Amino acid sequence: MSQSRENKTILQLERVSRFYRTRGNVFRGGGRLVVALNEINLSLRAGEIFGLVGESGSGKTTCGRLIVRLEEADQGCITLNGEDITHLKGKKLRDYRRQVQMVFQDPYQSLNPQVTIADSVAEPLITNKVGSPLDHMERVLKVLNTAGLSPAEDYVYRFPHQLSGGQRQRVAIARAIILEPSLLVADEPTSMLDASYSAQIFEILQGVRDKMGATIMFITHSMASARYLCDRIGVIYRGHLVEQGPAEQVINAPRHPYTKALIDATPKFGRAAEVPTYGTLLAAERPATTSAGCPFFRRCALAERLLCAGTYPPWHQVGPGQVALCHLLEDAAPAVNSG
Amino acid sequence: MQQATIKDLKAKRRALWRQRFMENWRVFMHNPLGRIGISLLIMFGLMAVCSYIPPMIDPMYHPMTGVDPKVVSSVGPSWQHWLGTDFMGRDIFSQLLAGARVAFLVGVSAAFMSVVLGTAVGMTAGYMGRFTDTALMRLADMIMVLPTLLVVLMLAALFGQLSIWMIVLMIALFRWPGVSRIIRAQTLSLKQRPFIDAARVSGASHLRIIFRHIMPNVLPLAFLYMTFRVTSAIVIEAGLAFLGFGDPGTVSWGMMLQWVWKTGHMFQAPYWLLPPGICISLITLSFYMLGRAMDEVLDPRLRDETQAG
Amino acid sequence: MALLTVENLGIGYQTAKGLLKAVDGVNFTLEPGHSLGLVGESGCGKTTIGMALMGLLPPNGRITEGRIILDGLEISAMSEDELRKVRWNKVSMIFQAAMNALNPVKRISAQMAEAIQVHRPEVDDHQAMERVEGLFNLVGLPLERLYDFPHQYSGGMKQRAIIAMALALNPKLVIADEPTTALDVIVQDQILKETKELQRQFNIGIIFISHDISIVADVCHQIGVMYAGQLVESGPAEEVFFNSQHPYTQALVRSFPTLAGPKTKLAPIPGEPPNLTGTIPGCRFCDRCPKDTASCKLDHPQWRQVGPGHHVLCDHC
Repeated sequence: MSQSRENKTILQLERVSRFYRTRGNVFRGGGRLVVALNEINLSLRAGEIFGLVGESGSGKTTCGRLIVRLEEADQGCITLNGEDITHLKGKKLRDYRRQVQMVFQDPYQSLNPQVTIADSVAEPLITNKVGSPLDHMERVLKVLNTAGLSPAEDYVYRFPHQLSGGQRQRVAIARAIILEPSLLVADEPTSMLDASYSAQIFEILQGVRDKMGATIMFITHSMASARYLCDRIGVIYRGHLVEQGPAEQVINAPRHPYTKALIDATPKFGRAAEVPTYGTLLAAERPATTSAGCPFFRRCALAERLLCAGTYPPWHQVGPGQVALCHLLEDAAPAVNSG
Repeated sequence: MQQATIKDLKAKRRALWRQRFMENWRVFMHNPLGRIGISLLIMFGLMAVCSYIPPMIDPMYHPMTGVDPKVVSSVGPSWQHWLGTDFMGRDIFSQLLAGARVAFLVGVSAAFMSVVLGTAVGMTAGYMGRFTDTALMRLADMIMVLPTLLVVLMLAALFGQLSIWMIVLMIALFRWPGVSRIIRAQTLSLKQRPFIDAARVSGASHLRIIFRHIMPNVLPLAFLYMTFRVTSAIVIEAGLAFLGFGDPGTVSWGMMLQWVWKTGHMFQAPYWLLPPGICISLITLSFYMLGRAMDEVLDPRLRDETQAG
Repeated sequence: MALLTVENLGIGYQTAKGLLKAVDGVNFTLEPGHSLGLVGESGCGKTTIGMALMGLLPPNGRITEGRIILDGLEISAMSEDELRKVRWNKVSMIFQAAMNALNPVKRISAQMAEAIQVHRPEVDDHQAMERVEGLFNLVGLPLERLYDFPHQYSGGMKQRAIIAMALALNPKLVIADEPTTALDVIVQDQILKETKELQRQFNIGIIFISHDISIVADVCHQIGVMYAGQLVESGPAEEVFFNSQHPYTQALVRSFPTLAGPKTKLAPIPGEPPNLTGTIPGCRFCDRCPKDTASCKLDHPQWRQVGPGHHVLCDHC
């Protein structure tokens, strides 16, 4: 990666929020409002792989779906190359999706079982009316090879159920990159696969970045995968982004208690001695009196009752390019811009 | 791309579809119900095709107008009339063959129409959701609670004799709601599947998602329900005809039963009563067995084999 | 005496395409209170072994050869009636899709009590409920949630309830089939820690089945690496993972991202496992193996000892 490319912002999320209303019924009236994402600020730099790490239900998938516009943000603003795409519709939305594609979590579900591999991969070409059918086949073969399915001729006329999970996920990646998008959202592409397939998927994603120059948002629950693949990492907890920074720094010197708890919980695989134990997670949740305080207050072992329960924490600059959302970082300077 | 590659790919594509067909056919034929059902249906199909032959041999074998001049009342089987004749000397065997033709015509066309309608309504309701869904489904509910036979009887009484095509149309109009409910449920669950999201991200329009991604996944189910609908259409037509509201211009099995009953031969002429009765039971049974065997083809969970885990 | 001995175990599934040999020639023993981790890709036969140990093979699966001896009883030769007496009393299982293993319309406590009473008819309702309360304490579930329905539990709590059920009758052997796959890292970590603690406390033998080598490395004393229905490497956890000899184990370890240490390039394992219908003459890994030679394809590899208790099924190690 060249330095200049790294600095250009391609995607920006500004104070993006998303709420879900739980379904009410006749007797209880309207549903409760659940916050899936709370004022997320993020920016992705051109050509980087950005890891969004969090547990299930943390809002990381919602964030990806907002970016590819499968869902619409309730508040805030998402821009791609300076253009506001938060509420695009119709033709403009379709044009936008030529630049932004997504790889889904479950390869057993994200390919239509009744459609051949060739037709699944060619789908974006057909819907966007690019080239002739003969062209399509040529591009499908090429992109399948890129995604590590070679000889591609052996795979095009098969149905998804005739492939292994790893092969299916590679087909899904091929479909996502056939239009050569500038941004690829990969939503836990390896979590349903055997560990031995993950490395293949990582290699392909790296290839997509290096050879096609795409920017990748890699959504994952695994700190170890994020460390391996990503340039920068953002950690998300219950809809709140709590720490963000260069991958090595966030993992080697985490500052937010939740990031520390995640690292504590990751199996070390024989390297326990090299990773400090932080012990920032409270064994039992403590009750919170208000909802105004720190989102991690209920489970934070370090929290100070008055400060943390009462006020929403500020962003602190904790290292070069690394910020954390926590009260208890007196040594660090308040961050002006969290994005 | 090179010619050779293209040729090679085309061969692969053909091989894929052939393999898929053979696989399904194997599962289908593996099921004894499927084997019995299909052989019975082939038999009835042959009967329907052969129904054109007797009138060609001798006009007296015409199922409706042909009368054996030597016969004045119903007689039992003989070399001349394999299953005997009815009260005015018409050949029962050729009537039976003609009845098979009518049964296929009524069953398949009524079922086809109701399934096409039901699938279209079900997919629209399931995919559009909200108001459209509610409106279409309440309409379906209203039609579903009407007893088909009774309503058709009333209509027949109102309009006098109905032609066979009117009967087909009415069966179709009254039997789609069941299909549409099932197709709607299937569409609703398909709509939630990630491959629909993937198609949207790929830039597919709503029409494309419905026809390219949802329809191929509901069509097998619709086809399955068609076989069950054929059964019910044949039974309804037979019921109408037996009660005297059939098309007087066609010879259906129900019609034959009505003639037996009306002329008071119920217990006098088993050679006349039994063949149409048995045929109605067997043809509905065979379509039902066909459906059950297809069910197994469509739903791999019903197959008696599992993969190693 | 060993708690569990598996001798030359072979399991086949009757499929439309012929007999699928899901497990072939597997040997291992497990001492009381020890844990064995079976790792491998999906389809390598690890779940099949777990099912065979419970006597729960699907109707088209059967043990084609070898013996399973649990606590002096030959499981592989038992009738269904005899198996029913052994199941849950001596050996129990934590299933892969544990989330779905609970009956959604019954309260958790009732389900647990019923599970106890089905296998121990002499236990009355009161004793059963006492035992359930004890189990709740054991796995760290709050007692005020006793009468909840499964949907009111979080994923981690359901998993704890399943573990409690598996421990209800003090089995000597617990088979845990991917018990934490669907859970978040933090919950997974807690449950693994608790499992280890419970094992130590009650001296239970555990067979831990997983595709995630980092989890079994943390939990298990012994490791068996499986590939295409065969055990290819077995030994103490440290030895198997940090002094791997079999090319497959080495490849597995190399394809796994770690949290610390040098950030080396991961090496994906090329290709796919072989089809197990029909016979495979030579080594099953040779198509994907970097070290393979002409002779690998022809002859069955032999077991060799490469360290204390550390065995490898490979002719080139």
